[in-house]
Parts: sequence; structure tokens; C-alpha cells
Amino acid sequence: MTLEIQKPRPIWQIMFSTHHTDVGLLYLITSLAALFMGGTLALAIRLELFLPGSQFISDSMTFNRMFTVHGTTLIFLFILPFASAVGNYLIPIMVRYKDMAYPKLNVIAYWMIPPAFALIWLGFADFTWNAYAPYSVTRAPGPAADMWILGLKLLGISSILGAINFIVTILKCKHPDLPLSKVPLLAWSYLTSSLIMLVAMPTFAAALLMLLTDRLGLSGFFNPAMGGDPIAYQHLFWFTFHPEVYVLVIPAIGFMYDIIPRFSRKPIFSHVSGIAAFVLLSIVGFASWAHHMYATGMSFTEKTVFMIGTLSAVPASAMHVFNFIATMWGGRIKFTTPMMWAVGGIALFFSAGAGGVVNSAMPLDFMTHDSYWVVGHFHLFVMGTIAFGSFGFLYYIFPFVTGRMYNEKLGKIHFIMSFIGTIMVFFTQHILGLYGMPRRIFDYPPIPEWIAMNQFITIGAMIIGIGMTIFLINIIYSSGKGKEANMDDPWAVGGEKYYYPYQSKTPHH
Amino acid sequence: MIMIYPINFSLALEDDPGKYINRKAEVWNLFYRMMTVAFVIGSVVSGTLIWLVWRFRESNPKAKKTKYEEQGKW
Amino acid sequence: MSEHSSWPEWIYVGVVVALLIYVGAEAWNIERIIEHIPSDAEIIQVAGQQWFWTFEHEDGTKEIGELHLKKDHAYKFEVVSKDVIHSFNIHDYVVLVDAVPGRVNTVWFSPDESGEFDIQCREYCGLIHYNMRAKLYVDDES
Repeated sequence: MTLEIQKPRPIWQIMFSTHHTDVGLLYLITSLAALFMGGTLALAIRLELFLPGSQFISDSMTFNRMFTVHGTTLIFLFILPFASAVGNYLIPIMVRYKDMAYPKLNVIAYWMIPPAFALIWLGFADFTWNAYAPYSVTRAPGPAADMWILGLKLLGISSILGAINFIVTILKCKHPDLPLSKVPLLAWSYLTSSLIMLVAMPTFAAALLMLLTDRLGLSGFFNPAMGGDPIAYQHLFWFTFHPEVYVLVIPAIGFMYDIIPRFSRKPIFSHVSGIAAFVLLSIVGFASWAHHMYATGMSFTEKTVFMIGTLSAVPASAMHVFNFIATMWGGRIKFTTPMMWAVGGIALFFSAGAGGVVNSAMPLDFMTHDSYWVVGHFHLFVMGTIAFGSFGFLYYIFPFVTGRMYNEKLGKIHFIMSFIGTIMVFFTQHILGLYGMPRRIFDYPPIPEWIAMNQFITIGAMIIGIGMTIFLINIIYSSGKGKEANMDDPWAVGGEKYYYPYQSKTPHH
Repeated sequence: MIMIYPINFSLALEDDPGKYINRKAEVWNLFYRMMTVAFVIGSVVSGTLIWLVWRFRESNPKAKKTKYEEQGKW
Repeated sequence: MSEHSSWPEWIYVGVVVALLIYVGAEAWNIERIIEHIPSDAEIIQVAGQQWFWTFEHEDGTKEIGELHLKKDHAYKFEVVSKDVIHSFNIHDYVVLVDAVPGRVNTVWFSPDESGEFDIQCREYCGLIHYNMRAKLYVDDES
């Protein structure tokens, strides 16, 4: 049978619709486009670093622009919109409401993304995704830099609007019979991450405006030549973007909270501790931002404070891992593609967290700061945990979105190749960092260890690239020609109906 | 896990020329201590995870239906 | 749902917290030890600019792109920047501090091995960031 939302319709009906599933589909397509565009840049970067010297990128400026756009695209145009896509599809259903709280606002929030996407890609700025002042103020070539600033500005507004929408939908539009404590953990993850976003984002929005007026020469907030302080920019930036890390990771954990019980054939071990860990993480997440700035000449006391703040975010994450393991314990686990991604994500989550503890331990930061260690560390988070959770969840909602099943065998090949590739690339990058290779470099001296490790990493990246190509073929083919899914139970695991899909078009009030 | 480690306060107060603290050695020693801890915990965590995946997979001969399956609800 | 006891989770959280306290205390202690600058450390003024390093010794000698130091002496670097943020890094000696325009950041070390070491920039600073390198020569005391 075909759901109402899956009936073929002309494209403009989807584009100009305000229905939450249609907006979700737009978010989903945009985020996947960004994934493959950003991923292509990553492969180009890896190919360039295969050997010292210039390979096929002729100058360092092109290279610098490529890693800047790679980072910006994958964080702001893949991970965040992907979370919004899933949220749009499922949050109204989970809280049993007919749509998002503000459908029109929802559409506006989505339609800010394509122009931002265009600004970022047409500008192709070079100042890294941090845009540290004063480089971004005095030296970064325009108009690329200005376009990046405006693009990020739009994305910031879009994510604030999206966050408001999620918060209001969950808190105010949930069904009266559904107490907040019984709301599914996935919805809790959206509630907490949206609250973080709402508190954190305005700081960066202000910093961007200040950066723009600085670039125009109207002000000198971050320009030391005009009496400004470049470190102030870093504080504003990281005050937003350290909590933002949790904004990215919390929905991914929420995805796993949905996948793992279903395929373990057991309820979540502890709903309460999941909620507690989300809330705890969203509060202590604000106490750690300046651990990115140990090297900027902070005092011993400041460093100590932020080290403690960072370490105190660990128990909350560890509680999630406990919850996952305890849920799987004693179950009867069916290893479908989504479950494989979720379990792989948990395995890598630990390594990423352990690397983070090393970074926050003050003296060790002076070994790892701005080296390939950091690149390996945060990629383990964004790829190993967040993207793994997202891919798993994409396979998981695939029947809901398209009414068809993906190819299970190709899905598993995608997982295995990505898992092996991720381990090859990002664990080796940790070691490369310990050998002292700085990040963001176009060329490196021919040190034998560096060359060997870079080549190994590039091979790993190619494996991920092939896996992603298989993924692309799988989703395109299956969404049109895949076999029809059994909408009650697409994976034949039993249990409750898969996402009560029939409610998605029937209003409750 | 019990770790005994000597807190050496006298080291920090030593100012005789020629007897400086070896920054490199201090930091790398700390790094190796942390890595020891990390790898011990890491092997426990990943060992648990691998065992879980092996033991509770559906196809394991010892796998039995969870009590929730009988109710068809979890 | 609460048909299981929650004490395993509390024990687990306790173990995690204990480990974090151990990590934090160790790191705090080592940082305290290595931050203590010896009073007889020689001051070297380091200036980063796009895209090279300049060094000035206490006696006024200037060096560009290379730095000559003596083994088993203590050196305190006062790092400044003339344009954008750089990061002064001697990876082999775990010396790292940002060069921030408008600020003087300090870091100290004492080389215990003679030889040649790389000095590099660890913070993205533009076009030639990848090649903003210098050489450190540590000589045996003659």
C-alpha cells in the first residue's frame, strides 16, 4: 500500500508545501546533496596529500578554499539539515500532532538553506570554518569571505527558527495524553539540542555581524590595529560552537535510541537516565568552550576551569553508552543495516570521547592542538558517531520516506567499507598528529613517516568514497525501483508498528 | 584500578641552573599514562561490545526470545 | 519499565567520575610543573608574520628563519605577531603557543638534545601557512 505522503506528485507541490513531511523531504535531499559535495572535496584533499608537493591542485589557495568549504558544507549543510529532516518527519508524529507548530516558519527556515548553500559554494572562502580574526578581517580575500559570512548568517537564522519550531512543537503541541516524561527519547534529543541551539547561536550571529562590519572597516572589534581583540572572536565563536558540537551529536544519539531497542527486541534500558543525560549534557556543554583556546595564552586558572568544565561533560555521554549496552544486553539482536550503523557508531563514540579527554588535559593539548590529532579526533565524532547515526537512521526511515526497501546487502557493504575506512583514516590521523603534522597544510616536508601515513589515510578515504558511491546508487535505485516495504514491520522484527505512519496525515485536534 | 603515582612537589621549586624540568619528558610521560588508562578502558568497552554483538545476535544458537517479544510490544 | 535496579549505572557513573578526577588531577599537576618558568631563563623574542619567523636574542642578535640555542639552557619565548594569528610550535620539544597580534604570549623550554629541529606554524594564517617553517639548531655548549 502507498501512504498518502508517498503518492507521486509534481515537484512544485512538494516545494511549496508546508506539510512537515514535505519540508522534511526537502531538508533530506539538500543534506544528501551537501554530503556528496562535501565528501568529494574531502577526497580531493586526500588525493592532494597522497604525496608531498603539488599533485593536481596547483596552488595552496585553492586547497585552503577546499577544506574551508568541505568543513562548512558537511557541518552546516549536511549534519544540521539532516537532523532537521528527521525531526520534521518524526517529531510531530512522536508527539502526536498534525504538523509542526508553525508550518510556515518551518518552510521559511528551510528556504534559507539553498541561498546559504549557494553563497558558500559560489564564494568558496578560504579562512577555514572557524574564520578566525584577524585573518578573516584583514587578509581573507573578498567577496568570498563576505559571502561565507552572509551564508552562515542565513544558516544561523534558519537553525534558530527551526529550533523554536521544534521546542514549541514538543512542549506545546504534544498530545494531552502524553506526559513529557513519556515522550520518546528521540524527541527529547531534539528538545535539548534545540534549546542548546537557541541559547548558543545568537552569540555567533553577533560575532558574524561584528566580523562583517570589521571587514567593511566600520568597526574594529577584532582588529588589533583598531584596538580590537582577536581572542574575543574566538570566545564568541567557541561559545556557540562548542555547545554546537552537542547540538550535532545529541540528535545522532537520539537516532540510536530509536534504532537499538527495535532491533534488540527490548525496550530502552532506562528512559529516565537517557533524559537525564540529555539534559545534563545540554547544561554542562556550556562550561567547556575555551578548551579550544588553551594555546592562545590563557592563564593556568582559566585553563583549569575549562578543563574541569570539559571533563564534566563526559559522564553524561558515558551514561548514553551504558544505556545502549544495557539495552542490547539480553536482547535478540537482528543486525539489519540500521543496527550495524548504530553499533558501529557507539564503538567509535568511545574512541572519539577518549581522544577528547586527551585534548582537554592541559599539557597534552600542546602536543595535539591544531595537529592532525585534532582532525582525527573531531572527524571520529562527526563521521564515526554523528554521520554513522545519521546513515543508520536514513536506512531506518527509508521505508517511511519512500514506501520501499533499500537493498540490504548494499547497505551492509556501505557500512563495512565506511567502518574500515573510518578506522583507517581517523585513527591514523591521530598518530600523524603525534608526529607533528599541522592541520590545514597544502604541502608537507618529505618526512618518511608522514608520507607513509598520509598514503594510508588516502587509501582509507578511497574506501569510504567507494562505500558512499554504493550508498548513493542504493538510495537512488531503491527509492524508485526497490521492492515495496511492509509498512507495519519493514525488517520483520515484530513488536509495535513502525512509526504509526497513518497518523501523519490525520490531525488529532 | 588503583594507580599510585608520586606527587613530586620539590621538582617544581627547583631553580638551580642546569637542572631544568624536561618539558618534553613530562608531557610525553603524562601522555603514555593517559594512553594506558584509555587503552585499558577501551579494551573493556570494545570487548564488552564485541561480546554483546556475538552473544546476543539473533543467529546465535543460544539466542532466545526476549520476554517482550511474547507481548509483541517494547 | 523500572523492573531492573539502577545500581549498576550508579557504579558505572562513579567509576567514570573517578577516572576523570584522576585524569584531571594528573593533567593539572603536570601543567603546574611545566608552567613554572625558571628565573634564569634567557628571553628570546619571537615574531610571527606572514609567512616567516623572526627571533631576537637577549643580546640583540636577530635571526630570520633559524634559531640557534645552546643545550641545557632555559629559554623563555615571548611570542608576538605582526599581522594575523600564528602558532609558534617546536613539536619535538612540545613547545606551542599562539602568536596573537596585540598580545605577548610566553612559553619556555630547555633543550636537552643537540641537533636540528623543525619550527612550524600550527594556526592557519593564509596562503603560505603550509610552509611557514624555521629551523632550530641546538648546539652543545662549547
